[in-house]
Amino acid sequence: MGLILAAVGFGVITASILALAGVGFTLQFGVTNVLNLAFGSTMTAAAFVAYVVSQSAPLVVAVAAGGAFGAVFSVLVNRFVFMPFIHRGTRLFGMIIVTLSMGLVVQYSLQAIFGASFFSLPDIGGPTFHLGSFAITGPQVGILGLGLVAMACVHVLLRYTTLGKAMRATATNSDLARSCGIATDRVIDVAWAISGCLCGLAGVALALDVTAFTDTTGGDFLIPIIAVAVLGGVGQPYGAMLGALVVGVASEVAAAVISPDYKDAVAFVILILVLLVRPQGILAEVSGAKEVAS
Amino acid sequence: MRPRTRSLLAAATLACAGLAALDGAAAAAHRAPAAHPSRATLTVGEFNPFSGPDASFGPEMVGGCIPAVRLINLDGGVMGHPITCLVEDTRGDPADAVPAADKMMATVSNLVGVLGPSSDEALATVPLLNRGQVPMFVDTGQAAFDHSPYPYFWRITPADDVKGYALALWAHRAGYTRAAAVFGSDVGSQSDVPTLVKAFKQLGGHIVINQRIALDSTSYRTEVEKLVQARPQVIFTEVDPQTGATYLSELQQLHGLIPVIGTEVTLEAPWLKAVTGAIGAGAMARDFTGMQPYAPPSGPAWATFNGSLLHSSASVPQPRQWSQDPYSMTYYDGVNIMALAMLAARSTKPSRFNRDIPLVTEPGPGKVVVTSFAMGKAELAKGRRIQYVGAGGPIVFNRWHNSTGAFEAARLVGGQVKIIGEVTAAQIAQLSGH
Repeated sequence: MGLILAAVGFGVITASILALAGVGFTLQFGVTNVLNLAFGSTMTAAAFVAYVVSQSAPLVVAVAAGGAFGAVFSVLVNRFVFMPFIHRGTRLFGMIIVTLSMGLVVQYSLQAIFGASFFSLPDIGGPTFHLGSFAITGPQVGILGLGLVAMACVHVLLRYTTLGKAMRATATNSDLARSCGIATDRVIDVAWAISGCLCGLAGVALALDVTAFTDTTGGDFLIPIIAVAVLGGVGQPYGAMLGALVVGVASEVAAAVISPDYKDAVAFVILILVLLVRPQGILAEVSGAKEVAS
Repeated sequence: MRPRTRSLLAAATLACAGLAALDGAAAAAHRAPAAHPSRATLTVGEFNPFSGPDASFGPEMVGGCIPAVRLINLDGGVMGHPITCLVEDTRGDPADAVPAADKMMATVSNLVGVLGPSSDEALATVPLLNRGQVPMFVDTGQAAFDHSPYPYFWRITPADDVKGYALALWAHRAGYTRAAAVFGSDVGSQSDVPTLVKAFKQLGGHIVINQRIALDSTSYRTEVEKLVQARPQVIFTEVDPQTGATYLSELQQLHGLIPVIGTEVTLEAPWLKAVTGAIGAGAMARDFTGMQPYAPPSGPAWATFNGSLLHSSASVPQPRQWSQDPYSMTYYDGVNIMALAMLAARSTKPSRFNRDIPLVTEPGPGKVVVTSFAMGKAELAKGRRIQYVGAGGPIVFNRWHNSTGAFEAARLVGGQVKIIGEVTAAQIAQLSGH
C-alpha cells in the first residue's frame, strides 16, 4: 500500500512536466489549429539553451532563458514557416508533415551543433523530504513548483484577463471572434508565445528530471504529450492538466502494481478506454459549455 | 544493446567510412612495394550498419580493418596480393542487408571474407554468406549462434548470454549474495538476463528483484522504490545512457547509491558521460564497475595494432578513439587470421583456407606464438606452425567456431577507464558447462 501511495506521489511529479507540455501543446492547437509535431524538438532546443546559459549563470536564469527561447522560437517558426503554408491553404495533414519536418530540422541541427552526446543541467541539490514511503527531492520540488506556478498563471490568464477571453473566443470560433472585433492574428501570435514559453519550460523541466538529455529527448516525449492533450480534449488546457494527472499517476501506479515494463502501455490503454467512452476527451464538453457561457 | 544514432549522422558516417576505406586502400597500396601490383586485390567486406540506428558499429569496424590491411600490404600482401577493406552498409536491417549481401557476393571480385554481420542482420545473412562460402568474423552476440552449424561462421567476441556469467562471477568474487537485475526491455539487453540469473543462483546468490525497464521514461522513482524495498547489495544493469542516468540519479537522490555492475554497454563513452553527469564523478568511481570482453590495451599484439591504427589517421577519422575498443581489436584480428590462414593453406580461395583458420589460432605443442601478420608470415615461410595471439588476446575456437574469451572489470577513475580485474575464459567455461 505504501508503495502505491508513493507511486501516486511520483505520478504527480511526472504529471507536472506533462501538464506544462500538454497545456502548451493543446493551447497551441486550440487557438491556431496547427498540430505542431515540432513541439518535442522545441522542448529539446530549449533545454540546450538552458544548458548553455547555465554554464555562466544561475540555474533559475537558465530556466527563464529556456522559457523565453521557447516563446520567441515558436512565434518565429509560426510566422516564417507555418503561416506561409497556412496562407497557401495547406490542409491539416500537410501541416502535420510540415511540423514533423520542422521538428527533424531542429533535432538534426542540435545534433550537428552539440554532437550526438548527452548533457546535464547543474544539480539543484537540496534535501530529500520523506513522507512515509514517499520521498521527494530538491529538484523534484522545483519541478513541481514550476508546474504549479505555470498552471496557475495559465488559469489566471484564461479566466481573468481580456487576452485570455480573446484566446478562448479565437479557439472556439476564430471567424466569429474576428467579426466581434478581436484581433485574431495578434491573439494567435500571443498564443504561440505563451504555448512556446510553456514548451520551453517543459523542456528544461524534462532535462532536469531525466538528468541526462540528448537531441532526441524531447521528441521521445511527444507521444505522451499528445496523449495528454487528446485525453483531456484537444484544445482544452484544463483537460490537458487533468490528462497529465491521469497519465502520470496511472503510469507510476502501473509500474508499482504490475511491472515497469507495462508503464507506458497502461497509460495508453487508459487513453483508448477513455476515448471509447468519450471520444471528445474528458473535459471537452464541460469546456465547450463554459466557452458558450462566458 | 549498442548506442543509438540517427540517420543524418549515419549518412555522414557512411560517407566518411566509405572514403576512409577507399583512401586507406589507396594509401596502403602506395606503401606496399613488395605486393605485386599485377596481382588481383583481395577484398574484405565490412558488412555492418553504417547508417540507421546502429550506425556507430561501422566506424568501429573501419578502426580495425584499415590498420590490419595497412600492415599486411606493408609486408607485401598475401602471397603478393594487396588486400583492401570495402564498406558494405547493411543499414542494420535484414531487409537491406540481404540484398546487400547478395550484391556483394555477386559483384565484388576476390571477396575473401567479411567482418560482420552484427546482431541486426545476422540471422538473415549468416546462412546466405555461408552458402556463398564467404568466411565471416561476426560481431553478433546472439545466443542462437552458440551452437552454429555454419562452417564459414567464426566468432571471436563473446556471445550476449556469456556476459551474464561474467557479471555473476564478478559479483560473487566481491562477496555479494543479493542482487537486483535492472535491464532495458529491448531484446539485446534482455538476452543477458537468463544466464545472469542462472549463474548467480549457481554461485549461491539470489536475484531479489528482476526489473524490465521501459527505456527513456521521464522517471523511474517507483521502480527505484521497489528496488530499494527488495534490499539488494548490488545492481546488475544494461540500459541506454539516458535511462541509466535517470534511474541511478533518482536512486542516489532518494536513497543513496548502491554498487552497480554493468555490461560493456555501460563502459561506452556516451553511457559514462551521461551517468557521470547525473550522479557525479565521485559516485561513479566509488560505486560503478563495468565488464567488457578482455582486450587489455597492452602487449605486443595490441602495440602493433595501435601503432598501425594511429598511422591510419588519413583513413580512420580520429583513430585514437578506437585504441582501446575491444570490437576494433577483434576486427583487426579477424583480418589477420584470414590472411594467415591463406598463407597456411597456400590459397586465397575461401573454400580452401577456411578450414585452416583454427590451425593458425589454436595452441599446440611446437607452435610458435605470433602477434602480428608479419611475424606469422615469417614463421610460416620457415615451415613452422603458428598460434596467432591477437590484439584482443588468445583465440581458441570450440567446435561451433565460437571463441568465448575472458572479461575484464573496469572502473571510471579520474575520467579514465581503469581495468581492475579479470574473469577468465576458464572460469566462464566452468560455470556455463561449455
